[in-house]
Amino acid sequence: MEKLYKFLKYTFIILWTVFIVAPFLWAISTSFKDFQSVNSKVTYIPWLDFEPTLEGWRVLVKSPARGGVDIVEPYFNSLFVTCTASLISIVLGTLAAYALSRFTFKAGFVRNNDITFFFISQRIMPPIVLSIPFFIFLSTIGLLDSLIGLVVVYIVLLMPIAVWIMVDFFNRVPKELDETALIDGCNPYQAFYKVVLPNSIPGLIVAGMFCIIFGWIDFFFAFILTFTEVQLLPVKVVALNSSITPWWSLSASALISVAPLIIVAFVVERYLSKGNLSGALK
Amino acid sequence: MAKIELSNISHTYNPNDTNPTYALNPFSMTWENGKRYAILGPSGCGKTTMLNIVSGLVKPSKGKILFDENDVTDLITEERNIAQVFQFPVIYNTMTVYDNLAFPLRCRNFTDQKIEDRVKSVSDTLRLSSFLNSPARKLTADQKQLISLGRGLVREDVAGVLMDEPLTVIDPDLKFRLRRNLKEINEQYKTTLVYVTHDQNEAMTFADNIIVMDQGEIVQVGLPKDLFEKPRTTFVGYFIGSPAMNLFNSEILSNNSIKFNNDTIKTKTDLSKIKDKNVKLGIRSEFIKIATDQKENIVSVKVTRVEDFGNFKLITGKAGDLEIKSKIEREIPISMEELKLHLPAEKCCIYSNEMLVN
Repeated sequence: MEKLYKFLKYTFIILWTVFIVAPFLWAISTSFKDFQSVNSKVTYIPWLDFEPTLEGWRVLVKSPARGGVDIVEPYFNSLFVTCTASLISIVLGTLAAYALSRFTFKAGFVRNNDITFFFISQRIMPPIVLSIPFFIFLSTIGLLDSLIGLVVVYIVLLMPIAVWIMVDFFNRVPKELDETALIDGCNPYQAFYKVVLPNSIPGLIVAGMFCIIFGWIDFFFAFILTFTEVQLLPVKVVALNSSITPWWSLSASALISVAPLIIVAFVVERYLSKGNLSGALK
Repeated sequence: MAKIELSNISHTYNPNDTNPTYALNPFSMTWENGKRYAILGPSGCGKTTMLNIVSGLVKPSKGKILFDENDVTDLITEERNIAQVFQFPVIYNTMTVYDNLAFPLRCRNFTDQKIEDRVKSVSDTLRLSSFLNSPARKLTADQKQLISLGRGLVREDVAGVLMDEPLTVIDPDLKFRLRRNLKEINEQYKTTLVYVTHDQNEAMTFADNIIVMDQGEIVQVGLPKDLFEKPRTTFVGYFIGSPAMNLFNSEILSNNSIKFNNDTIKTKTDLSKIKDKNVKLGIRSEFIKIATDQKENIVSVKVTRVEDFGNFKLITGKAGDLEIKSKIEREIPISMEELKLHLPAEKCCIYSNEMLVN
């Protein structure tokens, strides 16, 4: 019975791993191919099936003047916008979430839950609804086609995620923890950052991860709110496509686009899989 | 350490309603410096609200709190220098046991040497010394509660230590030892200890003074003996003691006698001033014994049940419609038949409108 269980377990794990890893292997392989190797017949293994070339990768760093599509600048633009917007969203979102979790707000018929829902509703709305208001807003304040403008827009998009995750997280942190900190001699701010915050690291990590993922992969607003001055990675990757689909450089750009998320996943995994950060205060 | 005075305190959680319900009805009370108090009452009677008001977590709707004559009503918790321990262990998960215990002192900028001395002393008392460097989250629930307690006791200058059913999660053997420890700490450091519980044995063995509460009202404050022998209301009689006090509906016959089924019971209480003839007779089952040669206050009952508790027998008998319980020594043989019981006049409490008549 035990053996059967082990067998099934490992079979499943292997199948799942193949399912996850295969596209990456395929992309890695394709990124070293040239036009011939992609279009003539199915080829898999470099040197054996086809002669590998770095052309797919070279295109990504060559300037347009020399026939390339430079994605280095968009790459760092994306990194800057995503990280800045995520960081600000996490800071503001965590503060908002703590207030929503610990204090009672009343304004007419509006209560805490309504405010939380208002935040989340920003994500429920289809993004297209926001596109025109954002466009007009950014052009009015003169931030259209700029990094700062994108950061502002992404904060609007990412903060609801942070608020949503952190409200739920703080609600599960017993309020006795704050009260104990107050009794032990902290003022309310110290109670928050000395006691509640260190206990909320798992929540912060989850919220941060979601913010980074959603910020990094957004194409829609990056596409609508930028033109020539500033470009973000997703837009540039899509722009790689032309009448002849350059599968090799698309594969290469897909790989380097997904790389930061893989790194984040590996860093975060060790915190999430450890039970000691599950936030239980029993 | 301080004398804690609650003056005309009352509290409601819905002050804006037209008819607010009061979690605490107006009361005044003084907790003397260095004494042990137990607040006893059923769940939801306002015990925790009272503690939270003293520690500043809740601001009372009305009234004032004084620590050593200083008005602290408007001070926030941090400025009151008071310790509170909750029912369930609250520990700082990310810190070691040592840091947990040192936290209240660090927040108040004590020197490292002083912190070390205090943490060592408290951890010795609570037998936590061998865990000082382990992460607090790795400990068991009762050890975690010891940390909570330790954080309360680590400050010597604290106005008082408030404990909200702190020993619920701790096993009985350790509970007994800890209660004794708390008593020792109180005697050694003269810390004012306030202990909320719904367990009367805990209250009786721990406190100098017991405060009995019911539905936001302080029903009686007194020594364990007073609560037991002279409960001020029928509620206290019912709530304190196991089994509860015997309470019978009765009628006044004369200035010092009342009706009990078909018999007359004499009391030491002067009944001349009571207007309402209908009263209640209350007497502890401990004081009801099998009649030997007494002439007065004898009632005959039909025994319906005898329960052996090991150290005593509990007899339940019927006299007409009235059910009466008596605790007697277990050696005395009991047959399931008529029995004559003696109700000593000095132990009979008379209640008019649920209040004790003095």
